[in-house]
Amino acid sequence: MSLCMQEETFHHCCQHLLQLSQQLRDGWSWESAQGCLEGYLKKTVVRSAVIKSNHVWDKTETTSDSASHTSCHPHEILNFKQLLNVFYIVFSVCILHIYLTYILYLHSVCSDLYNLFLQSFPDASCDDDTITSKIADDDDDDDEVHIESEDICQVLQYEYHILFSCSYSTPVLYFRAFTQEGRSLLLEEVWNSVHPNFRQRLQNSPLSTISQEEHPLLGQPFFKIHPCRTEEFMRPVLQAAHDQSRPVNFVLTWLSVVGPLVGLDVPLKYSILLQSEANTRDSESD
Amino acid sequence: MSDSAESPTEPQKEDSRPTTDDSAANDEKKKIDVLLKAVGDTPIMKTKKWAVDRGRTVQSLSQFISRFLKLDANEQLFIYVNQAFAPSPDQEVGALFDCFGSDGKLVLHYCKSQAWG
Repeated sequence: MSLCMQEETFHHCCQHLLQLSQQLRDGWSWESAQGCLEGYLKKTVVRSAVIKSNHVWDKTETTSDSASHTSCHPHEILNFKQLLNVFYIVFSVCILHIYLTYILYLHSVCSDLYNLFLQSFPDASCDDDTITSKIADDDDDDDEVHIESEDICQVLQYEYHILFSCSYSTPVLYFRAFTQEGRSLLLEEVWNSVHPNFRQRLQNSPLSTISQEEHPLLGQPFFKIHPCRTEEFMRPVLQAAHDQSRPVNFVLTWLSVVGPLVGLDVPLKYSILLQSEANTRDSESD
Repeated sequence: MSDSAESPTEPQKEDSRPTTDDSAANDEKKKIDVLLKAVGDTPIMKTKKWAVDRGRTVQSLSQFISRFLKLDANEQLFIYVNQAFAPSPDQEVGALFDCFGSDGKLVLHYCKSQAWG
């Protein structure tokens, strides 16, 4: 069996998929391009997806170097009395500072003693300990690099198109996604929303998996899953089907492999219907 | 439902005979027999038959097989049912067994390939 499909076979498989979709009310439709015989399968899905976005804040340093500056005031020299007044003021500020520091020290000692006292009653004091320790940790992190990743769960509208690629003689999945406000997703956001099962493979070479291209029939920017290796993962399925003389819907099988990568769910019921069709065919031929 | 990829302990039972855990009274905890068949030039697993929790997803099973076969990071493992379609990663194996199981076991074909690009 030829692993490369003809366009006629593609049309035939698409029509079959449409029939099944109508039975299951799955929402697939056939769209024809204006002025030519070519067309594509189309489906629109509204679903929520988590778009991870990583934010890195730079290290915030509160050094005294940047703030400190020497100021030279070329004023006339203060007389002795004014100097003495300044000295008294500075001295009293220092005393006050020392006094306040001592008060704070006493306060911390007392709170430690209080916590030690409370530890003899573990049930009541656990929450307080964790809260105080958490606050202490936050104070320590003020001067360190913050790396936070925000998982933003958004409701997105996905539009999936299945076209036939003449170059590869295989189906190709094009898709685009919009937020509720009408903003189209960026390529990075699409990469971030890929199913975790495939994310490691995607991270190795994201551009060769999903990239942004012009839709061949509509001329609009779409995301596309590269079809170069379609033959590679379709081969075992088609070979086994050929060996067992069992018909297989190339487009449906291919879609069940590539669809989950970008959030397109192909329900099990398709395969159940196909199986019952095959069983009916076998019983009729007997 | 145990989906963690770090816990391959559950299906790692060296079963050479069909085992259905009849001692588990609860249906949800019942394990199903999964027969793994290699396709193409994919390495063949020494142990082909595994008893897997019904609630385990295809994704966790795929990760387990990938680790078992020590696949590279840039290799993708594909799992097929009845050689006709690939189940969604979030699909539970219990549901697959109910629909496509035969002779008391679910046959899954696995294949490694450079999937994308």
